Amino acid sequence: MEWLIGAIILLPLITAVVPVVASLRWDNVGWHFATAVLLATFGLSVWVTRIIVSSGPITHVLGGVTQPWYGVELYADEFSMFVLLMTLIVCLGVLVYTRVGGPRGNAFYGGFLLLTGGMLGVTLTADLFNLYVFLEIMAISSYALVSAAKYRWSTYAAFKYLLVGTAGAGFYLFGVALVLAATGTLNMQDLSVRLAEVGYTDPTVVAAFALMAVGLAIKIALFPVHTWLADAHASAPDGISAVISALVPAVAVYAFARIIYTVYTVDFLTTNPDVGTMLLVAGLLSLFMGSTFAILQDHIKLVLAYSTVSQFGLVLIGLSIANETAIFGSVLHMFGHGIVKASLFLLAGMIALRFGGIRHIQEYGGLAKKAPVMAGSFGVLGIAMIGLPPTVGFVGKWYIALGAFEEGMWLVSALVLGSTLLSAAYILPFVNRIYFYPFRGTDADPASITRGMLASIVIGAALAIVLGFASAEIHTYLESAVRTLLEP
Amino acid sequence: MIEPILASTGGEVPSMRPAAVLVVSLLAVALIIASHARPNVREAWSILAALVNFGIVASMAPGVLEGTVYVASFGEIVPGVELALRADALGMLFAVVASGLYVLTAVYSIGYMRGHDEPYQTRFFAMLCASVGAALGIAFAPNLLLFLVFYEVLTIATYPLVAHDESEEARVSGYKYLTYAFSGGLAVFGGMLAVFWLTGTVDFTRGGITELATADPWATGAAFVALVAGFSVKAAVMPLHSWLPSAMVAPTPVSGLLHAVAVVKAGAFGVARTVIDVFGPGVVGDLGLGVVLAAFAGATILISSLFALRQDNLKARLAYSTIAQLSYIVFGLALLESAALTGGLLHIPAHAFAKLTLFLCAGALYVQLHIKYISEMAGVGRRMPVTMGAFTVASLSMAGIPLLAGFVSKWHLIVGGAQAGQLLVPVVLVASGALNVGYFWPIIYTAFFERADDRERKPVLDGPLGGAPVEEVRSDGGSTDDSHDDHGHHDLPPSDGWDRPAGPLKETTLLMLVPLMSTTALVVLFGIVPDYMFFFDLVELIVEGATEGVNGQ
Repeated sequence: MEWLIGAIILLPLITAVVPVVASLRWDNVGWHFATAVLLATFGLSVWVTRIIVSSGPITHVLGGVTQPWYGVELYADEFSMFVLLMTLIVCLGVLVYTRVGGPRGNAFYGGFLLLTGGMLGVTLTADLFNLYVFLEIMAISSYALVSAAKYRWSTYAAFKYLLVGTAGAGFYLFGVALVLAATGTLNMQDLSVRLAEVGYTDPTVVAAFALMAVGLAIKIALFPVHTWLADAHASAPDGISAVISALVPAVAVYAFARIIYTVYTVDFLTTNPDVGTMLLVAGLLSLFMGSTFAILQDHIKLVLAYSTVSQFGLVLIGLSIANETAIFGSVLHMFGHGIVKASLFLLAGMIALRFGGIRHIQEYGGLAKKAPVMAGSFGVLGIAMIGLPPTVGFVGKWYIALGAFEEGMWLVSALVLGSTLLSAAYILPFVNRIYFYPFRGTDADPASITRGMLASIVIGAALAIVLGFASAEIHTYLESAVRTLLEP
Repeated sequence: MIEPILASTGGEVPSMRPAAVLVVSLLAVALIIASHARPNVREAWSILAALVNFGIVASMAPGVLEGTVYVASFGEIVPGVELALRADALGMLFAVVASGLYVLTAVYSIGYMRGHDEPYQTRFFAMLCASVGAALGIAFAPNLLLFLVFYEVLTIATYPLVAHDESEEARVSGYKYLTYAFSGGLAVFGGMLAVFWLTGTVDFTRGGITELATADPWATGAAFVALVAGFSVKAAVMPLHSWLPSAMVAPTPVSGLLHAVAVVKAGAFGVARTVIDVFGPGVVGDLGLGVVLAAFAGATILISSLFALRQDNLKARLAYSTIAQLSYIVFGLALLESAALTGGLLHIPAHAFAKLTLFLCAGALYVQLHIKYISEMAGVGRRMPVTMGAFTVASLSMAGIPLLAGFVSKWHLIVGGAQAGQLLVPVVLVASGALNVGYFWPIIYTAFFERADDRERKPVLDGPLGGAPVEEVRSDGGSTDDSHDDHGHHDLPPSDGWDRPAGPLKETTLLMLVPLMSTTALVVLFGIVPDYMFFFDLVELIVEGATEGVNGQ
């Protein structure tokens, strides 16, 4: 059954050309095709997850080429499947939105499948170079999709995104090259042994880590290398904003977690305590600067975009604390953030669709009177974004702050909790406008909101609450995977 | 390791009833929103939910008095912390007060909201119901984590009620309320993490969590300060009180039920849980922090009474009175003596009955006669005799006059203070009683013994700070300073005096009159026959458990 994890990646990647080819004959079949493919992939993934839960992690070598230099090895455990399932759930939700919300056209959906395939690849690869390849598949297709918006500005934004993203990829690739030079292998499992043999204080090893970290930080959009993000979000189609805000950073964080814990292992962090400290500081900076920038915005997509910077700062803090509780908190927070942020972006898109393209906080007044379900979902999702109980954002903070406490870092813990107030400061003005101001806009196009869209954001809001209560179950599910990260 | 202690408080009985109240509340919120187009059906849901919830809570009361603890368990919320609802004695105290008074407030709200033609009534009734549900969740939370969950839900659910009328003032007050409440919630969160880190549990344990007695006193002290400071925000202990007078912008039933009963008492209840069930009175005493808390509470009692003296806005005066009275509860808990604990806990229902009565009266005056300011009340006792009679009884109870509810709790507080050897305590309480008379008596006096054309000066209110006599007196006896003009109210009281009501009990709608008479009856009953009322036994049970637990004295 191991070949199934190969199928999960290859299905969207290979079929990505079909919508493009189909354009020769049919228009607008891309959406249906992409949905069918992703549903099938989702089904496969659920099946594979069940296998993994019952019989442990799966390793699979594509095509049976076991040559360590050329073979494409895949690895799936509970952690990777968790991120993978989040990716597919969000992508399917985005598809529900784009059916009417657009963009349409076969080429877009070809790109979308490619993007999804790239993200799935990142979560399943067991090899640093293939990780690079999948990261680039993901990145290049997202540049293209950002420029698919109908604004003229989007071409510029996509170009900026491309330049910065490629620089990031360059850093990462350079790091991979150094690792290869130092150890002679690129396989993650091999590396964990060989890097230890070379020595964790070896300058090449440390430099390689630093390079890969910078490269991935650009992809995650951590402060201060987040600059591509504002333009890209503001001008991308709403569905794509959801993906590049909720999933692309999450997948990059997943890759980063693999590099820290599977490749370099926790011993590297104990040998070089400065590395951990720097990660922690980077996380804290992102957390607070991201929130501060978000507070200064009045454009909903920019607020959400900077909020992503801040939330991934939090995730990085959890990773850098490096104990079981905090890492689990990070993973859970990442999952919750994915669902919540994607739903909020879709909601922002729906509000713009229905009320004549409104995007600024001043225009949000009184929407609750016209669109109670959307407003209610915004409220719940906003609360989850802030991290108030009983939502998933709250339990994520509980684990991260508790993890910090366990290491005696009570100041970090206090800062993590204190950041909640900043998050409240950028979300609540929107909720306040929506509910407690008079409605002054135009209800331009109520028919554009489909039942499917409403259902997807309501499901998103419901998940935000349910996951808050289900964290103990998720903990049981992820326990062994998180432990493997810490004790390979 | 905690199980034996839990078991010693009486049998734990699995029961879905503590969870059922939450389900009922949630269902009711959904039904209220669903029937927004039919106000009568909507209000029927509201009342039905109130009755069912009260019924469920009351059905557990006899069992709880015998030491039974009803538990509905649903596994774990995070590893090491149970997802459950437990109805124990302390929880029942809060639950009975909140759910019982919700029945009366639900009825009253109909009269108030319709009488005043308030907008957004569906949201109001839905959120009121949600708030009470959250308060019941707080009552039945078995550990700090779930307590915090419901505590924040309560904050969120009451925010729409504070910002209800969507005016600039309401929105600003709403923000202020949220900022204070969330900051408090975060402090609680931090304290809770510290407790969890120190002991590996955050379960409420009668008499205190055992490990805290032996943990590092600095860490324990920090956790205690964080928890109590966090809860003190909602309990409006000075200097964390300033949200409460602002929140009075909410409709009066909200001010009554939430900002005199459910929300603020949730804070006081949190302090009670912290002192009795997390740390235990013994540990708090060893840490030496009880005295500090008592000092804050005592200062609040006196200072906020002084503030109250200068409020002309009736609801603002009641708000400052609430701040003072809440600190009675905290005061009692901080003294750590069994009689003082009894007094503090008894003050939860005692103050709830009396203060709700006062707010219900204030609301009736507002809806019926548009009276918002005390200076408009001259002679109103003639127009609304029952309302003002109830107001009088309740305010005497506030002052702690014997045979009324307030006396019962205050007596125990004084005894407890004397037992603790803190002779300052009786002094503070007696002074506070005098201040209560000082700010309530002018209201009663002006309502019953003054007329529009025959009013005396109110130097404390009208004069400069300190109460020097004012120079000029306007013909209507009001003040010359025009600070009232921006309140936008017109000539009240009417220059030819108030008319008498059309007949007995016709001074306002029965929907408002009956609830406020009922709460007055509770005030009197609680004052005359406290030991026949359920609360006395309940509080005895709690205090017994608190002092016999491991960390007790």
